[in-house]
Amino acid sequence: MASRKEGTGSSATSSSSTTGTAGKGKGKGGPGDSAVKQVQIDGLVVLKIIKHYQEEGQVTEVVQGVLLGLVVEDWLEITNCFPFPQHTEDDADFDEAQYQMEMMRSLRHVNIDHLHVGWYQSTYYGSFVTQALLDSQFSYQHAIEESAILIYDPIKTAQGSLSLKANRLTPKLMEVCKEKDFSPEALKKANITFEYMFEEVPIVIKNSHLINVLMWELEKKSAVADKHELLSLSSSNHLGKNLQLLMDRVDEMSPDIVKYNTYMRNTSKQQQQKHQYQQRRQQENTQRQSREGPLLPEEDLSKLFKPPQPPARMDSLLIAGQINTYCQNIKEFTAQNLGKLFMAQALQEYNN
Amino acid sequence: MSRFFTTGSDSESESSLSGEELVTKPVGGNYGKQPLLLSEDEEDTKRVVRSAKDKRFEELTNLIRTIRNAMKIRDVTKCLEEFELLGKAYGKAKSIVDKEGVPRFYIRILADLEDYLNELWEDKEGKKKMNKNNAKALSTLRQKIRKYNRDFESHITSYKQNPEQSADEDAEKNEEDSEGSSDEDEDEDGVSAATFLKKKSDMGDFLPEVVPESLGEKEKTQTARVGRGIIYRAPTTDEDKKAAEKKREDKAKKKHDRKSKRLDEEEEDNEGGEWERVRGGVPLVKEKPKMFAKGTEITHAVVIKKLNEILQARGKKGTDRAAQIELLQLLVQIAAENNLGEGVIVKIKFNIIASLYDYNPNLATYMKPEMWGKCLDCINELMDILFANPNIFVGENILEESENLHNADQPLRVRGCILTLVERMDEEFTKIMQNTDPHSQEYVEHLKDEAQVCAIIERVQRYLEEKGTTEEVCRIYLLRILHTYYKFDYKAHQRQLTPPEGSSKSEQDQAENEGEDSAVLMERLCKYIYAKDRTDRIRTCAILCHIYHHALHSRWYQARDLMLMSHLQDNIQHADPPVQILYNRTMVQLGICAFRQGLTKDAHNALLDIQSSGRAKELLGQGLLLRSLQERNQEQEKVERRRQVPFHLHINLELLECVYLVSAMLLEIPYMAAHESDARRRMISKQFHHQLRVGERQPLLGPPESMREHVVAASKAMKMGDWKTCHSFIINEKMNGKVWDLFPEADKVRTMLVRKIQEESLRTYLFTYSSVYDSISMETLSDMFELDLPTVHSIISKMIINEELMASLDQPTQTVVMHRTEPTAQQNLALQLAEKLGSLVENNERVFDHKQGTYGGYFRDQKDGYRKNEGYMRRGGYRQQQSQTAY
Repeated sequence: MASRKEGTGSSATSSSSTTGTAGKGKGKGGPGDSAVKQVQIDGLVVLKIIKHYQEEGQVTEVVQGVLLGLVVEDWLEITNCFPFPQHTEDDADFDEAQYQMEMMRSLRHVNIDHLHVGWYQSTYYGSFVTQALLDSQFSYQHAIEESAILIYDPIKTAQGSLSLKANRLTPKLMEVCKEKDFSPEALKKANITFEYMFEEVPIVIKNSHLINVLMWELEKKSAVADKHELLSLSSSNHLGKNLQLLMDRVDEMSPDIVKYNTYMRNTSKQQQQKHQYQQRRQQENTQRQSREGPLLPEEDLSKLFKPPQPPARMDSLLIAGQINTYCQNIKEFTAQNLGKLFMAQALQEYNN
Repeated sequence: MSRFFTTGSDSESESSLSGEELVTKPVGGNYGKQPLLLSEDEEDTKRVVRSAKDKRFEELTNLIRTIRNAMKIRDVTKCLEEFELLGKAYGKAKSIVDKEGVPRFYIRILADLEDYLNELWEDKEGKKKMNKNNAKALSTLRQKIRKYNRDFESHITSYKQNPEQSADEDAEKNEEDSEGSSDEDEDEDGVSAATFLKKKSDMGDFLPEVVPESLGEKEKTQTARVGRGIIYRAPTTDEDKKAAEKKREDKAKKKHDRKSKRLDEEEEDNEGGEWERVRGGVPLVKEKPKMFAKGTEITHAVVIKKLNEILQARGKKGTDRAAQIELLQLLVQIAAENNLGEGVIVKIKFNIIASLYDYNPNLATYMKPEMWGKCLDCINELMDILFANPNIFVGENILEESENLHNADQPLRVRGCILTLVERMDEEFTKIMQNTDPHSQEYVEHLKDEAQVCAIIERVQRYLEEKGTTEEVCRIYLLRILHTYYKFDYKAHQRQLTPPEGSSKSEQDQAENEGEDSAVLMERLCKYIYAKDRTDRIRTCAILCHIYHHALHSRWYQARDLMLMSHLQDNIQHADPPVQILYNRTMVQLGICAFRQGLTKDAHNALLDIQSSGRAKELLGQGLLLRSLQERNQEQEKVERRRQVPFHLHINLELLECVYLVSAMLLEIPYMAAHESDARRRMISKQFHHQLRVGERQPLLGPPESMREHVVAASKAMKMGDWKTCHSFIINEKMNGKVWDLFPEADKVRTMLVRKIQEESLRTYLFTYSSVYDSISMETLSDMFELDLPTVHSIISKMIINEELMASLDQPTQTVVMHRTEPTAQQNLALQLAEKLGSLVENNERVFDHKQGTYGGYFRDQKDGYRKNEGYMRRGGYRQQQSQTAY
């Protein structure tokens, strides 16, 4: 349910250019029961994010910043943003909260919306489903219910299609995170799987009419070649990278599963032992009863059979979520590329 | 030591003779038989003569003697031990004692011991200095003897009142002593000596004449034995001075005996004359303890006594070791001047060398150069003497008592082991080399001594080959091997190079100068050791040295076979560190040898262990690592320092590393190219990869400076198939200076290397770029890599056979046609992913199985389905039960 703004300037024709809101939510966890149904982003914010990455981001390093805006009914409007400064070793005592407050106060002075509505982050080939992201988004959403995170994929953008996604944690995941209990049972009870961890909110990019006019003008002036990045047929690099990353996650997944497996086995084994023990006690007791002897005292079974420490399942959830993202990425990418290839073939045949 | 007092018995018995009557003893007639008895079966006679009394008393006297000795060296612990034994022995002898009365000598020792102990007890200072054991023993012994002596109180008091007991007792005791002492040694002439002595005491005036004849042959041994028997007597009752005087007398007399025997003109001397001379000598000696008095006649006895005197000071605190050496040297001079014979000189020389070794108080320090020089000279002189006098027997198993220092008629026997001396010398040499700065002129100076050391070892070897046992020969051979194996035989090498028909006269000279090739020498020595040695260590060392020597001289196959045959690789970890170091050195040399032969793989394998640890320096014993300095304490460090190999034996570490890296490069680069996309490829050489990574991390790549940078740069060039650049990085002025010129046949190695680089570059090129070719002409390849066509052909064929290259050869056009069946990068990745997912699914299924309660999964045969299901049901039920009980 990627609500994506494809082709930055060109298609931003109207004030509410919403392209690609096609995919509906992947199920029950959709935006339906969430506080935010739609995210509207100001063009300025998009440009500021892109600029921020270009200026400071390196290939694998991410850049982050704060989103500002306001909430209108179930719409989240993001009207401005500012970046977090890049960390360096020599200012370790830098106070981030202080900086944010300072920044927001300054912005308020120039009459800019100063409601903190979330944050944004760049990503490397869509690898953003991490513990750190989860934690900070949780704290955001805990404090301001409507806040969202914008994920910006610079690599895809460079290939010609702006990639910006708004993500929120599902209420279920919020519950789980509040409980801080990631044991298999708790997750099972919460009925949460990797698919329902994040909900994606459709986004709309809105520009003022004046800007739209400018865009029209610019488009007419721009050379033809600039528009055709989109049609590049090369796929191997991108695909290879994605595969590599996917493989890394799969590698991480395997031991996790093994760990879980061992846990399961241990539990069942212990259950068996416990059961045997109980049976034996019962037998003994019946025997004693028949002999009218005193019964065996009750013993604390949980002390005798300490259940094995259940492994935290959050990691595997996250990994699975990440794998899911990669798969989506690859799927989209290959679909597009196939289309392009067919097109190229047709063109070639036509030329011949 | 006992020899001091050797003739004490004689003189004292004489003194007692002169005054008093004596117990009658075998008559003179017996005397004539003496020589006969000597040569004949002694065992019988022994049995005949020994009576129960003799036996018991002999036992007692022996014990007493040891106690006396222990007293002299203030070894109270020993005293205590012996005293207890003495008590037991006395108990055994009780029946005899009852018959005969308590023997006087027994009382004497008891009294003396008590006095001695009391004296020690009073001496607070001395007690403080005593070590714990001794102090403890002292108190115990003191109590014991007090208690014990209560039984003998009357005897002791009477003895103390009249220490100069009536002579008859003395005499009796004397007999017993001499008898006992002579019997006690299981020597040939036990009885004869005893009887002889008795006779001596009988004969009184005859003595002087008797001595030369009867003692003629066995004089030394006899006197020694007799002396032992008598010792206890010397310092006993009389106050010190008297005792000392007596000793002098004894000595003098003995001296006289010897002299009289040796020098004919003295033979006629009678007793009186003898006495006079001795008396004259005594006071002088006392006044001037260091040297012989003027006018003292220098005889064997004097010299030996002096020698013993000096040696006694050895090892004691406060002894001036330098002065001791001086004294000993003076003694040698005196001995030489007085023409005392080679035996004595040899004996003293042995002692000089020993004291030279002793000069340094602890093991870590090394000899001073002048000491070292002296030591070498001394050993050389000793060897001169030994070679000049083949009749001198030297051995460590010769007892002091059985030494024969000056009896020219018999072979001279001297205690001492030339082999040990030489081994010690070798150790000292190593120590000196270890402690000299290897980059100084001093080191070179010291190294010059190596020739001398080798010469000495060679001489000793020759000597031992004649006289030594096989074990000794093995040891000296090993020493020789250790001084040979690491030296490259340039002359033999030269000879090998020049064809034999061109052998000019000069070459013959050379051959003469040189003796045998070191290879032949090594072969001979090692084979002897292989055949004869019984200790494993010597053989192991010899094998390792042999391999090293082979490897050094590029006899790769011999070296390798020997290494494999010895099976040393399996059990070397049980060997002691020095042997392990030798093993490491050998492996390294083996690797370098393989490299010279162009066997990169073997070279790499041999060097892998040493290099991969990153502690090559330590493993080869060529230096300590600073890193581990904190981990070991001072003691360990000292031990490790002692294990270091002297600098002139070092293997160049840079050469070693370079050889390793280059062979790793030749192996790894084509391998990397071939398995570029294979995720499961392993590294052949971690260290090489590490170097590559270090090279990659450089932000700015300048021209290579160090050897490693050169290799890394070359590897990069090779990765691209650019052999010319690779070549220029590996072989250039800098690398020549640093590495390649260190090889004996540098040019050969270089040509080998170039060829290897060409070949491996070709392979790398084909691996890397085969995907962009449909076909490629072999001629082009041969031009590109400057290899001839057949070589290119063979390399490509090999690659095709090994399925490294998916291609076929098109013979008529001489081209390689690529099949293009290799998967692309993406395909490869996809394949890997599929594999990983497979295992993931498998794991997941197992989890699923748990949930289902069935083991085995749902992909199992349908046939089993029913049973499984049953199991599942049962299990499920069981589970339910469980959960019920659990909650």
